Amino acid sequence: MRRWRVAALLALPLGVAAAGLSDDERQRVLSHGPWPPAPVLDAGNAVAGRADAVALGQRLFFDPRLSGDGRLACASCHAPALAFADGRARSQGREPLDRNAPSLWNAVHERWLGWDGAADSLWSQALRPLTDPRELASGPQALRRWLGDDEDLACRWRQVFGTPAADDGALLVQAAKALGAFTGSLVSGPTPFDRFRDALARGDRRAAARYPAPALRGLQLFVGRGRCALCHAGPRFSNGEFADIGAGFFVRPGQVDPGRHGGILALQRSGHTLLSPHADAPGDAAIKTRHVQLQHRNFGEFKVPGLRNVALTAPYLHDGQVATLAGMVQHYSELDLDRLHADGERILQPLQLTRREAADLLAFLQTLTDPGARRWQPGVLPRCR
Amino acid sequence: MRAPLLLLLALAGPVLADDSCGTALDPRTRQVIGAPTLQLAYVPQPAPLASGRHFGLDIVVCPRPGTPLPVALQVDADMPAHRHGMNYRATVRTLGDGRYRAEGLLLHMPGRWRLLFDVSADGRLQRLVHEVDVP
Repeated sequence: MRRWRVAALLALPLGVAAAGLSDDERQRVLSHGPWPPAPVLDAGNAVAGRADAVALGQRLFFDPRLSGDGRLACASCHAPALAFADGRARSQGREPLDRNAPSLWNAVHERWLGWDGAADSLWSQALRPLTDPRELASGPQALRRWLGDDEDLACRWRQVFGTPAADDGALLVQAAKALGAFTGSLVSGPTPFDRFRDALARGDRRAAARYPAPALRGLQLFVGRGRCALCHAGPRFSNGEFADIGAGFFVRPGQVDPGRHGGILALQRSGHTLLSPHADAPGDAAIKTRHVQLQHRNFGEFKVPGLRNVALTAPYLHDGQVATLAGMVQHYSELDLDRLHADGERILQPLQLTRREAADLLAFLQTLTDPGARRWQPGVLPRCR
Repeated sequence: MRAPLLLLLALAGPVLADDSCGTALDPRTRQVIGAPTLQLAYVPQPAPLASGRHFGLDIVVCPRPGTPLPVALQVDADMPAHRHGMNYRATVRTLGDGRYRAEGLLLHMPGRWRLLFDVSADGRLQRLVHEVDVP
């Protein structure tokens, strides 16, 4: 009889019995996994997922010869040790830039790339810094020169694409697709939150109990009263869209960053979207590009960033205007509603967190760090033959 | 002279399962909305609806006896509690015999959304509204 009673207790819904979560909270927590999700590839990129293209992209990514003057590499602003960001408020290219370098971890799972979502694939995003005179300022001449000087690079290029494209624009697209293949391989691993979430899913009370109590309280705030999960939804903790959160959007006195509004305009002007001839059979991935609509409220909206590894990517927001993660929590706690667009959505309210609640929310966010993300090293590439 | 437009608001939940509109649609996910001069049935593709995922709608419009087929159909969605709509503009293809295919919808947040169907028929514009709770 006693044995039956023990068995019945163990069979209680885990959320109620062990983790202190209601059934509703449990369902919401489960919606943030599993992680990693099913693999996806850079859309419209025929070489995405190929090991030889990832290797070529890795070579391009870390080598400053990719830039026009040999001074900057992609890794200059997307450093592995800094979660593929750069730790600066605003990045430094050949001259000071206007935005914060976003982390590249899990970018392959994003619907739109860049703070304004001006690109609809990793490869089309890669083209912008590649050719922007303020950033890498690269071009076909620099690429052809490098290919002529570096037999290993030329060998890899041949293996992935055949001969380098004769057309200058097509050559740059080849480089961008190799970069897309490499950055698309950067998917971070499970975190302490994932271990808790998976324990909830399989009903493992003992494993779930290892999740720190402050993080659990912060998680309850996140999915509950804080309503953070409305935008920071799903396994990546982002709904992949754009929002106005009352952040300043002056680039400098007298000049504003239009955010998503400018991003959609740039997308529509671009000749390298998933609707362009440069895209390789994008299929359903192009639906977003075909149907996205420009709205007035997009002005000053910026991408809802994913929160995986968020503790590693300070400073925050599109221009790094918030120095610390604690500062971000404070931003939402003390939100100034007057700073939100009058014609924008009505979701946010100041959370008015107590000191303990703010610390709990921070503790939860810190459990979204993949310990392996700090240790990532580029793969050693055997010489190409 | 332009035909007069009449905006009707039809707020309706799923109609009884024995409803006859759109019976060729998947009965497991078919929803039917009623209005004075027509019924509209739809199924999402893929089903069920989920936040953050593009989807389409297979739609059948069934005019009541004696009323003509619609000449146009537009589809949209909004989230009144949050005061926003979609970030995407749906397109609608006419397939004939009152059948339509809407594409490009995406509900980017969990919560209560309204699917909005604007049906132009017989010189009138009717808006049919269906509330859906999206996980």
